[in-house]
Amino acid sequence: MAKKQVIVLGAGPGGYAAAFQAANLDLDVTLIDPKPDPGGVCLFHGCIPTKALLHLAAVKDESEKAADWGLTFSGVKVDIDKVRQWKQSVVKQLTGGLGQLAKARKVEYLQGWATLTGKNSLEFSPVKGEKKQIEFENLIIATGATPSGLPGVDFNDDVWNAELALELKEVPKRLLVVGAGYIGLEMSVIYKSLGSDITIAEFTSDILPGLDQDLRDVFKKERKDLMQNTLFNTKVTGVTKKGKKLEVELETKDGKKKESFDKILVAIGGRPNSRNIGLEEVGVELDDKGFVNVDLVRRTSVQNIYAIGDVAGQPMLAHKASHEGRVAAEHIAGHKTAFEPKAIPAVVFTDPEIAWTGLTEGEAKEQGKKVEVAKFPWAASGRAVTLGLKNGLTKLIIDPENDRILGAGFVGKEAGAMVAEATLAIEMAAVARDLELTIHPHPTLSETIMEAAEVYFGHATHIHKKKKK
Amino acid sequence: MIKEIKLPEIADNVTTATVLEVLVSEGDKVGADDMLAEMESDKASFELPSEVDGVVKEVKVKAGDEVKVGQVMFTIDTEGGDAGEKEEKSSGEKEEPAAKEEKKETSEKDEAKVAEDKKQADREPEKEQEPQASKKEEVSSAPASDKPASHVPASPAVRRLAREIGIDITQVKGSGPSARVTEEDVKAFAKSVIQGKPSVSSGMVDDFELPDFSKYGEIRREKMDTIRKITAKSMAGSWQNVPHVFQFDKTDVTELEKFRKDYSKLVEKQGGKLTVTAILLKLSALGLRKFPKFNASVDMKNEEIIYKDYVNIGVAVDTERGLIVPVIRDADKKSITELSVELGDIAERARTKKIKPDELQGANFTISNLGGIGGTNFTPIVNRPTVAILGVSRSQMEPIWMDGEFKPRLMLPLSLSYDHRLIDGADGARFLRWLCEAMQNPLVTMF
Repeated sequence: MAKKQVIVLGAGPGGYAAAFQAANLDLDVTLIDPKPDPGGVCLFHGCIPTKALLHLAAVKDESEKAADWGLTFSGVKVDIDKVRQWKQSVVKQLTGGLGQLAKARKVEYLQGWATLTGKNSLEFSPVKGEKKQIEFENLIIATGATPSGLPGVDFNDDVWNAELALELKEVPKRLLVVGAGYIGLEMSVIYKSLGSDITIAEFTSDILPGLDQDLRDVFKKERKDLMQNTLFNTKVTGVTKKGKKLEVELETKDGKKKESFDKILVAIGGRPNSRNIGLEEVGVELDDKGFVNVDLVRRTSVQNIYAIGDVAGQPMLAHKASHEGRVAAEHIAGHKTAFEPKAIPAVVFTDPEIAWTGLTEGEAKEQGKKVEVAKFPWAASGRAVTLGLKNGLTKLIIDPENDRILGAGFVGKEAGAMVAEATLAIEMAAVARDLELTIHPHPTLSETIMEAAEVYFGHATHIHKKKKK
Repeated sequence: MIKEIKLPEIADNVTTATVLEVLVSEGDKVGADDMLAEMESDKASFELPSEVDGVVKEVKVKAGDEVKVGQVMFTIDTEGGDAGEKEEKSSGEKEEPAAKEEKKETSEKDEAKVAEDKKQADREPEKEQEPQASKKEEVSSAPASDKPASHVPASPAVRRLAREIGIDITQVKGSGPSARVTEEDVKAFAKSVIQGKPSVSSGMVDDFELPDFSKYGEIRREKMDTIRKITAKSMAGSWQNVPHVFQFDKTDVTELEKFRKDYSKLVEKQGGKLTVTAILLKLSALGLRKFPKFNASVDMKNEEIIYKDYVNIGVAVDTERGLIVPVIRDADKKSITELSVELGDIAERARTKKIKPDELQGANFTISNLGGIGGTNFTPIVNRPTVAILGVSRSQMEPIWMDGEFKPRLMLPLSLSYDHRLIDGADGARFLRWLCEAMQNPLVTMF
């Protein structure tokens, strides 16, 4: 049997991007995934369905806030069955579209699983049918990650991971969300909006580990409803089923206590899917956390095997995976390429949204790098006020030596959209003057980027401050 | 514990060194003073010590590799070294041929990477038309600098362009605000590399179109070694930038030769050899004091002259590997005996590759004595940033008209090459004449 030129294992946003790019570059590509269409966690039970539901949550929350502005809705009701159908239709539309794009590019799509049997061969187990050996010239591992569970507690109808939570089987009365990372917070916002009473238990002392404090503070001020029921420095040490309820043992600094919940959602990060697929057996090196070691072009310790996305290391973000996938495909096609971003943006799609890119203040401190931080609070933004936003913040992390933009952070509506401009600025090696001298449309929230740059030079139009430079 | 052995800071302005020979292999037991590799940098050879006791875990370089300061060359397991571990390792290898094979592959990859780093800039532009399979191997998986390309102030498209045309973007000087590198900067840099005029280095590449010599007979090509490359670049750079003037003179060394023979025993007792070069070192040093322009450098960027209050003199030494110029420091403050001893020592170490890189730097003036070989005169090239060099040829008995008759006198031909940007003809003639007179009558140095 002829060797396949490129096999991509896993059809998430990294895998399908790799496969499509390889096909664009005239390589013969086979894409293997257990799902009927490409999409992976991101489309089936991650980014896309959560965003659909977060949109719904935002509409509902906004309609409630509108009472302050003289607009009252009545009879706002959640029909969970209809919500589920809508979510599924979104997923179906997008994954179906990817399936068609794969066909259009003549990417061979094999539904099933695979295990490596050598440096150039794998055993394919189709969803339906006989196992078979497939030989390949190049392989891209894009098997993603699996959500971590609580020690000794399996995921089931009561203890959810994000995938189970997104099935929307019911809206629990009391939901315990374990982990105040981005999945934990997004899920909390969704279920809060659907009507659950949320408690968040976080192991560390704050939300979103690694994020700058000023950004966290704005979120916490805006979401007092969630934060008043958030337990920090808290560990879940036991879960027992008592009738229909779950008795959860929580260990805090003050000792242990027991509380009763209807459901638990565990969102404490994930571990790479690098074991049990024959990687180490054929000589692919993993690091101590199980991530596949890769070089600048995402090549593993075996020359013809590449790894991208969650399985190849942090940050576990779809857009990072897609970019890596394209780089790996280009390298296989013989192009001179490299994965060398200056900045990888991250967005938490809560209300308010939180987004950041490039260097954070915390990272600068760790690296001993001197930076200047220019902040523009949204209270001074006309657009923010017209949107009824009280709190919100745009900040730029700037190299004082050459005024280069090194990082940026946003909290507030549309933060996820604004972070793109900042990321482009970082990639283009823009200096503060570039942002200051670029005309931004008025009135929009994007003006806060321009004005933050003005703040850096000490003369923002809408903030009066002493002159600095 | 695993200790990483990196290429240390060798001397100012030295950023890379070439591996001449790797002296250990993986699994070797080494002591702190044991040498791991023989290295060569700008004109100097030195050995890289282990620094710690342990077992060599990884050898990350091979002979011929160019290594950057700070680059990890070896890793030493400081806890290993007992027989048990060694045994375990070898039996492990037996059981897992696959693992071993893969390890080999990894090290091959590293090698490829290092080689890639080294050659990326000058080799890749020509490789465009290769078939895909082998082309892939040429693709660099690492930028040529320690710093990732993403640190360079350049947009993603410009970084990609540089990678595609084989330019190490960390070498490109940006023309934009905050040194931002533009597409034009990368293209200009690429053009300068192809045309042999790198915008950052002073080295010149001769773009002369060579004929196909093999049409006329058998030929063979040989790689230039480090010394050859450096000499070629710096001499071409000097020749193209320094407006040279050559001044010739002769001095009567009949008396000096008698003196040299009479005092050679004395100097020998101190462990040195009293040579004409040693005497010239001392007298030149005094001359440089008297004529400070010859002890200066030209800063054309700032249109300034840099005068130096110290007198360091380089002495050209002919070695198997080519020309090496060790530097004698504060030659004006040392006695002829001291200079003789030091000169013998430093020349010997230059020949046996034991010289340290910083002993080859910081000269203000150079003496090149070819008298031992012969010749009546020659015109040495001024080595930037110095402004003058003294050429010494072979002394010869000549009939000299003295006191109404021809007398046989031992005459030493001297030539002085100097940089006309700083030194005018009259200065040059005066300096060389003074030196000739000082050789005949050292009393002139007292005036």
